[in-house]
Amino acid sequence: MMQEVLRLQNLQKSFGSVRALKSASLTLKEGEVVALLGDNGAGKSTLIKAISGVFPIDRGDIYVRGEKVSIRSTREAMDLGIETIHQDTSLAPDLSIARNLFLGREPVNLKWLGVLAPLDLAKLRNAASALLKRVGISKKLDADALVSTLSGGERQSIAISRAMQFAAKVIILDEPTNNLGVEETHGVLRFVKEMREAGHSVLLITHNIHHVFEVADRIIVMRRGEIVAEQTVADTDLLTVESLITGADLSALMKRAQ
Amino acid sequence: MRSPQFSSFVILIVLLVVFGVADSNFLSPLNISNMMAFLPELGIIALGMTLLLTAGEFDLSVGAVFGLAPVVVMLLVQNAGVDIGVALLAGLLLCIVIGAINGVIVTKIGISSFLVTLSMLLIVRGAALYITQGFPLKSWDQPGFFVTLLAGSFNVGSFRFYTSLWWFIGLSLLAVYVLRYAKLGNWISAIGSNRNAAVARGVPADAVKIWLFILTSVLAGLAGMISAFRISAASPVAGTGYELEVIAMVVVGGTALTGGRGTILGTIVGALMLRAIRNGIVLVGVPGLAYNIFVGVIILAMLILHALLQKNAARS
Ligand SMILES: Nc1ncnc2c1ncn2[C@@H]1O[C@H](COP(=O)(O)OP(=O)(O)O)[C@@H](O)[C@H]1O
Ligand SMILES: [Mg+2]
Repeated sequence: MMQEVLRLQNLQKSFGSVRALKSASLTLKEGEVVALLGDNGAGKSTLIKAISGVFPIDRGDIYVRGEKVSIRSTREAMDLGIETIHQDTSLAPDLSIARNLFLGREPVNLKWLGVLAPLDLAKLRNAASALLKRVGISKKLDADALVSTLSGGERQSIAISRAMQFAAKVIILDEPTNNLGVEETHGVLRFVKEMREAGHSVLLITHNIHHVFEVADRIIVMRRGEIVAEQTVADTDLLTVESLITGADLSALMKRAQ
Repeated sequence: MRSPQFSSFVILIVLLVVFGVADSNFLSPLNISNMMAFLPELGIIALGMTLLLTAGEFDLSVGAVFGLAPVVVMLLVQNAGVDIGVALLAGLLLCIVIGAINGVIVTKIGISSFLVTLSMLLIVRGAALYITQGFPLKSWDQPGFFVTLLAGSFNVGSFRFYTSLWWFIGLSLLAVYVLRYAKLGNWISAIGSNRNAAVARGVPADAVKIWLFILTSVLAGLAGMISAFRISAASPVAGTGYELEVIAMVVVGGTALTGGRGTILGTIVGALMLRAIRNGIVLVGVPGLAYNIFVGVIILAMLILHALLQKNAARS
């Protein structure tokens, strides 16, 4: 039986009078890809920002491998093995690929110097090159190249390989294929499959239902701050999922039209 | 070699040659000594400003802090009989407070650094004028440890240099190290380049910015004290307009006003360049009231050059 990695119980979050997250509960198991679906404004990004420590939740509990945790900062989420690739780009364009890959977790010499410690540039470079090689993009990319010189798909690949490197248990992708070309999109989907094979758990937010059927094991649908449906991919179909997202019963409409 | 600091460096050499040919006094030991006496005072502030700009913020209150810090020190010494060492420490403490207020308002309340530090400029300059009633104070001039430390001088051949040059060199090396090689420098560039990305990686962006505001303020105060000791006078209007001159030095050197890309070497070149221009155009006989026209034109030309180079780099 697959082990439970992440469990959320009745998460709530409001921004002023906007109840972005009314009550959300979900479970993520080891080596599982779960797609989180929902219209714009449904609360998907809010949910994953709460898990990744961007802001504190108002109420609710988070369990990592069965243990209750409180996530008060992005650093704490990372330390718990939760890596997030946010919708708004998560790279610094003026920094090199290598420096981005290790941002916030830089290898240093003379650790006792704290923030003034010198970067271990050789290690930074080598680890970055090794990582790029592992994810299969080393042929094209130099670890010293500035991120501002990369295409959208290449940036997404960098962000994803960064999430892989620290042996994250949970990888969260918020609309990772937005603004990507066909080939780049396939690259991202291939990554998701590879990560599942390597035993990572993936929470994938997307608007593309075809992608869901290609890579996900399970589907969770949100509407107006609540989780309204949960289905395994094997037991459902495109039309059902679409109607769950919009809230309209499309299959009934189709039948009536016939 | 298309980097902005390199093209600035080439222009600096061209300027030095042009001024040197136009007036033989320009490269004389006396004139070089003169330039080197002024250089560190604005240069030290420019180092802090470079780091701050790289993190995506700037500070318009540096010129006012440059004026206020030595005034407060001298008032404490002359009117309150405080020991000079303690008074200097109190002056630096005041700079820390001013920088911290700037930083906290910018990061925690979220008002742009332009507005916050513009207000701070008025407050600080106003305070300097009020507590002195507008009159300059005679500065500390008895020889001693602190005078030597801040404004001592020494001769190398026929050149006469001030200890402030050592301060500038030492702080420059430190700044190069921090921005290029230290973990902190990686954070500073990342914050200026994409703050949300840095925060998402666990970088304490607000704390870094607050410390950079404090650093810039302290360096401005230190520069003010150096200047006051050198000329034996603390004027409440000292440093007027320095904020723009310093920002000009930094951007002429190739640091991006929008954050993310900073170069200390470029700033040093920029500081040398503005100093050489101000000095050179006097020597070649540009009328005093026309200085700023030339300075402005040269800065603008430099910025256009940087922009064109960057466009080219992006295309290739
Ligand atoms: N930082 C914020 N401040 C105020 N309201 C927010 C903030 N973030 C999200 N919201 C609101 O919360 C709701 C859910 O947004 P979001 O989680 O981004 O939706 P989704 O990612 O599903 O499109 C929306 O009504 C949005 O306007
Ligand atoms: Mg979203």
